[in-house]
Amino acid sequence: MERTVREGGLSMILGIEDPTIIVGYAVAIGLTIVCVLYGWLNRDKGEDSNG
Amino acid sequence: MVETWMFWVIVIIYMAITLSVGYMGYKKTKGSDDFMLAGRKARPLIIGMSYGATFVSTAAIVGFGGLAGELGMGLIWLTALNIGVGILLAFLVFGKRANALGHKLKAVTLPDLLGKRYNSPFMQYGPAIIILMGMPMYAAAVMLGGVNFLQVALGVTKDQALLGFVIVTAAYVIGGGLIAVMYTDALQGTIVVSGMTFLLVFTYFTLGGVTTANTDLTNMATLVPSGLAGQGMTGWTSFPSFGSPIWLTVVTTVILGVGIGVLAEPQLALRFLTAKDAKHLNRAIPFGAVFVLLTTGVAYTVGSLTNVYFYQNTGQVSLNAAGGNVDQIMPLYINSATPDIFIAVFTVVLIAAAMSALSSIFHTMGTAAGFDLWTHIRRKLRPDADVARNSRTTILSSRIGMGVMIVISVALAYIMPASIIARATIMFMGLMASAVLPSYAQALFSEKPSLRAAKASLVVGAVSWFIWTALVHNAESSVLGISNFLLGQPSALPLPWQNIDPLVIGFPLSALTLIVVWFVDKHYLAEKEVPSNGRSESAQ
Repeated sequence: MERTVREGGLSMILGIEDPTIIVGYAVAIGLTIVCVLYGWLNRDKGEDSNG
Repeated sequence: MVETWMFWVIVIIYMAITLSVGYMGYKKTKGSDDFMLAGRKARPLIIGMSYGATFVSTAAIVGFGGLAGELGMGLIWLTALNIGVGILLAFLVFGKRANALGHKLKAVTLPDLLGKRYNSPFMQYGPAIIILMGMPMYAAAVMLGGVNFLQVALGVTKDQALLGFVIVTAAYVIGGGLIAVMYTDALQGTIVVSGMTFLLVFTYFTLGGVTTANTDLTNMATLVPSGLAGQGMTGWTSFPSFGSPIWLTVVTTVILGVGIGVLAEPQLALRFLTAKDAKHLNRAIPFGAVFVLLTTGVAYTVGSLTNVYFYQNTGQVSLNAAGGNVDQIMPLYINSATPDIFIAVFTVVLIAAAMSALSSIFHTMGTAAGFDLWTHIRRKLRPDADVARNSRTTILSSRIGMGVMIVISVALAYIMPASIIARATIMFMGLMASAVLPSYAQALFSEKPSLRAAKASLVVGAVSWFIWTALVHNAESSVLGISNFLLGQPSALPLPWQNIDPLVIGFPLSALTLIVVWFVDKHYLAEKEVPSNGRSESAQ
C-alpha cells in the first residue's frame, strides 16, 4: 500500500492526524494511570469504614 | 478452519477449570449472603476483575469491535469514558456510598438497596421490573457475540454454540451463586486480557508496526463507503463530521449511552456491595481500569485496523468483506488473519468474555425475579404470611428466577436480527440510566431523599425512553413499526432527532423530574423524614 502523507495534512502522531483521536487515546491511557496511582496511594485508606 | 481436536482439547480444559472454580463457589455458599453477595468479603483483585469482566463481554469485543471496524477509532472515546466514568467515578463516588449504604441497610441487590433507602416496595419492584424487561435482550446480545464467532471459526450450528454457553454458565451460576460468578469472572478476565493483549501485538506486528498500520488506515480515508461518507464519516482514524448523523450516533448512542449507562447497571453496582469496606474498593480500582483499557481499547483499535488487513488481502474494507454484517467483522478477521492455534485460543477468550458477562446477567435477572419481585408478589398473594427473608427460600426462588429468565433470553437470541449486539447493549444501558440512575443517585447522595421524586423520576425516565425508542429513534422505530402504523412513517420526527439516542432524552427528563418534584416536595419532608433503617422485614 502506498504510504504517503496526504496533501495539506496535519502532522501525524503514530500515523494518526486527527487530534480528536489522539486526545482520545491520551485520555484513555492517562485515566488508567490515574486509577492505578489512586489505588496504590489509597490502598490502606477506608479500612473498616463500615464498622 | 482450525483443527477440530485442537479446539476441543482447549475448550474442554477451559470448561473443566471453570466448572471446578464454580464448584468451589458452590461449596463455599452457605447462606443467602454468600449466594447474593459473595459473603460481603470479596477481595480487591476479585472485585476489580469481576467488575471488568462483567462490564466487558463479547458485546464489547465482537459487537463494538465490529462497530469500530465500520466507524473507526473515534470509539476510543468510549474506552476513555468507560474508565473515567465506569471505573473511576463509579467506584470513588457511587461505589463507596453504595457500599456503606448497603452494609447499613443489609441490602443484597440494587433494587433492594433502593427499596430500603426509600422505605418503599415500589422502589424495589419497580426497578426489578425494568431490569426484567430490558436485561433478557442484553443477555441475548452477549450470547450472540460468542455464537457468531463460533459459527464463523468452527462451522458449528447456532443451536450447539448457544446451548453450550447456556448450560455450562447456568450450572455454576445457579449452583454457586455470586461466589462462583466472581471467582470464575477473575479467571475468565485473566484469559480475556491475555488474549486481547496478544491480539493487539499480533495485529500491529502483522501490519508492519504501529505507525505504518495507522498511516495505512489514515490513507484509506478515500475508501470510506459512499453511504457512510454521506452520513458524515471522514475516515477510520478521524472523528465523524460534527453534527452529522454518524457523529450523533457515535457520540449520543455509543459514547454517552454506554459511558453514562454503566453507572446504573445493576450487575455492576452489585460488586460495590460485595466489598468489606472502602479500602477494598480502592484496591480494586487499578485492576478494573487496566482491564477495561486492555479489552475495549484493544477491541476498538484492532477493529478499526481490520480495514487495513482486509484491504491488503481482499481489496475490500471490513464492512464489505463481512457481507455488511458488523458483527461478523471481528470473527472474520480472527479466522482469516491469525494462526490456527490462536483461533482456538481466541475462541476460549470469547467464550470467557461471554460467560463472565452472562453469569452476572443471569444472577442479576434471577435475583430481580426471584427476590426483588417475588417478595412482593408473595406478599400480595398471601398477606398474612411471614415474608421475612429466609435464607433457603431466597436462594431457591432466585435459582428458579434464573432458570425462567435464562429460557426467555435464549428464546430472544433466536429471534434477534443481525448487527444487533452493540445496539441491544446500548438499549439496556440507556433504559437503566434513564429510569434508575437519578433515583439511585438521590438515594446515595441526598440526606433526605424524596420518595415522590424518585417514583416520578423512575416512571418519567422509563416512559420517555420507551416512547423515544419506539417512535423516534430510527434504529429501533423503523424496525418496531409502531410509528409507521400510527403515523405512516418510520420515525415520528425528522433529522436530526431520529439519530439522537433515547438516553439523551430520557435521562435529562428523568433527572429534571426528580429535581423539580424534590423541590416541590421539600416543604413536606420536614414533617415526614424517610427512615434510613429499612422496612420492618428483617434480613438474615
